[in-house]
Formats: sequence, C-alpha cells, structure tokens
Amino acid sequence: MKRDRRFGAGLISSLNPLGFNLERWSYVVHRATGVILVGYIMAHIFETFQLTGGITAWANTMSALHSLGPLEMVGLWIVAGSALYHGGNGIRLILNEAFGLFVGKPILPVYPYSPTSLGMSQKVAVWTITALVLALWIWAGLYLLAGLGVI
Amino acid sequence: MEKITLRITRSGGKRVNYEVKYRKGMTVLDALTEVREGQDSSLGYRHSCRMGICGSCGMTIEGLPTLACQTQVSSLNKETISVEPLHNMTVVRDLVVDILPFFDLHRSVKPYLIRDDLEERDHSDREYRVLTREVGKFLQFDYCIMCGLCYAACPTAALDPYYTGPQAIAQAYRYMADPRDEGWEKRVNLLDTSHGVWRCHMAGACSFVCPKDVDPAKAVQFARMEILRKRIFGKKGKAGSKPVPPPGAPKEGVRPPPFDYGGAKK
Repeated sequence: MKRDRRFGAGLISSLNPLGFNLERWSYVVHRATGVILVGYIMAHIFETFQLTGGITAWANTMSALHSLGPLEMVGLWIVAGSALYHGGNGIRLILNEAFGLFVGKPILPVYPYSPTSLGMSQKVAVWTITALVLALWIWAGLYLLAGLGVI
Repeated sequence: MEKITLRITRSGGKRVNYEVKYRKGMTVLDALTEVREGQDSSLGYRHSCRMGICGSCGMTIEGLPTLACQTQVSSLNKETISVEPLHNMTVVRDLVVDILPFFDLHRSVKPYLIRDDLEERDHSDREYRVLTREVGKFLQFDYCIMCGLCYAACPTAALDPYYTGPQAIAQAYRYMADPRDEGWEKRVNLLDTSHGVWRCHMAGACSFVCPKDVDPAKAVQFARMEILRKRIFGKKGKAGSKPVPPPGAPKEGVRPPPFDYGGAKK
C-alpha cells in the first residue's frame, strides 16, 4: 500500500477534534463507539462459536468470562453505552442525509457567518441525543449493578 | 502584549520559533511577512490579496485551518502562535502546500454548466435566464474561493486520499441545483461512489472553518438526498428543477429574440 505523504493526514489527525465544532466531537465519539461495537461483535461471535466444541467448551468459556468479576459488567456497560450512542447519533445522521433535517436551507451568507448546517437545530439534536444516551446509560449501569447484587 | 512568538512548522517537520513585535491590527500574515522580511528570507508561504478573497494564504493556525490574512493576532489571545501547513495536502516547502490534487478533485466533478445541445451552447444568441428564487438554491455554494480549508479540516479526507472532498461535492451540487445545467445525471454518477458523498460522516468541520459560509456540509447532505431520490424513485429531487418562465417570456420551444440593449446600432 502506498504511503500517504500528506501533511497531518491519518488516523490521529482525523480523531483530533480540539478547537473544532460540536459535531466534530460527535463524529469522534461515533467512530470510537463503532470500533467498540465491532470488537464486541467479534468477541460475541467467538463466544458463541465455542458451542461447536460441545457443552464443556461452552461452560469453560462462560466460567472464564464470569471469573472476570465486575470487569465483565463494566465491559457490558461500555458496550451498552456504545450501542446507545452509536444508534442514537446514527439516527440523527440518517435524518441529516436522507431528509436534510437540521441542516437548514441554502441561504445568502451575511457576515458574521454562521453555517446553518451547524446551527441551533443541529446543536439541539446533538445535545438531545447525548442527554438521552446518558440517561439510558446510567439506567443500564444501575440494571447491571442490580444484576451483580450490589444494589 | 509587546511581542509574539510564531512557532512555525517548516519543511521536514522542524518547528522554529520567531519573535515578532506586536502592533495593533496585526494579522498572522503580517507577522509572517515581518519574519520573512526581517529575520528569515528563506521562509516559504503563499499569499496574494491579503483580504480574504483569493484564498491563497490558507494554513493551520493554532490547530485550525484558517486564512492567515483574516486571523487577527489579538483574536488568538496567545503569545506563542503555532503555524503549520494545511493538513491533508503534501508540503512543497514550509507553509506552501501542493494544491493541485485539490484542484483536480474540483475539476473531476465537472464544475461548469453542461448543456445537451452543443450547437446552442457554442453559438448561443441569448443569455440563460434564471429566476431569483432559483438562484437562491445554489448561490451560497457559488461563493467558494477554493482555499482548501474545508478539505484540510475534513477528518474523512485525512483518512481517504481518494475522497472527493467537501469542496468538490459542494461545487457539484452547486451545478446540480442550477436550472440552466443539464449534467445532473453525470454528476450523480460521479458522486455516487465509495469515495464520493457516502464517505462523509457529517463532522461539519468543513462548514466550521469555511471563511465564506459556503457551508459544504449542507451541500453534501443535499447531494446525498438527490442521489437517494434518484436511486429509490428514479427521478430528480428539488435540485435542478425546471425554472418557471417569467411573465411575458416566450412559450417553451420558441427561441426569444436576442436581447435589445437599446441604442446599439449595427
């Protein structure tokens, strides 16, 4: 593969939202949660694949997972948060792309400039999704803690 | 603030500090000019108009792609200012980047009016008329000065060197929305690729840094809507709609006489 010799190009640069807009931060979280979900799906496929080795192999896998103790629940909590954010933000992006919602209409730019695609409706959409996700994530955390018998 | 320090990333990635005496109203471009004229004549940077029209002096100032001529030193509120070349472009020398690949992307979307009737295009005896409300559909995207800031800010372009990029997609949509243009189908096919509009993840950084409020993120979403309509319903969307003829205009199919400018004698 040909090396990309462009200045500042690459993964680290694309994941650096410092100084940029709210939507760029949302983009970074969306990408990160997507990677977590892909990792979870891979692990999940590997886990269920153990069934092909018989009931003993399956029982060994499950006991290995349970031996992680609270870490297993923390992992599941992170996966739950990732699924919630990725799903919620994904719906916002679909509304952006397919229906042009939250991006505004073409306007005549007047100084001081303020792009409508990053305007108030987009900000409200991002913050609403973030608030909903946080609320559901906390609820998921409490649910998992209850499963552990902590509360 | 009496003095500022410019921390410039030069060719090869070496960062060099230059101290410049601050004066009221100084822009980063002014500071760079003082460095080149008074301290280091080998410093390479590009500029032309000095008033945000030409788009030549795009560079990364304090981590953000910005026009150096439009960035007041006082607005940064820092004594040490980091200046780098534009991201996602190859460095030619110091702060000068190779902008030709960016222009190639622009050219790739056919940023001009396409007409089916070549005879009419080449030997037109009248001007193409557009209603004001039709102009409103694409005028915003027409203000692009091709400075490359949107491309430098785009996280997708950072990962995919073959990505069409926000500027080119915005220009493609500008012509897709123009009622005089008949190249809608061609542009849809150009954009509906794995390196086209579907690569965009709506980070909005392009619109955030655009110095002219062209709002490329908006144009990309509109282009996607057009393509979705085309693929799902097999028809055009709002862009490229047929203009309504003004009152008194000749009926369709009848060519109006050449415009009479009055007083011109043959």
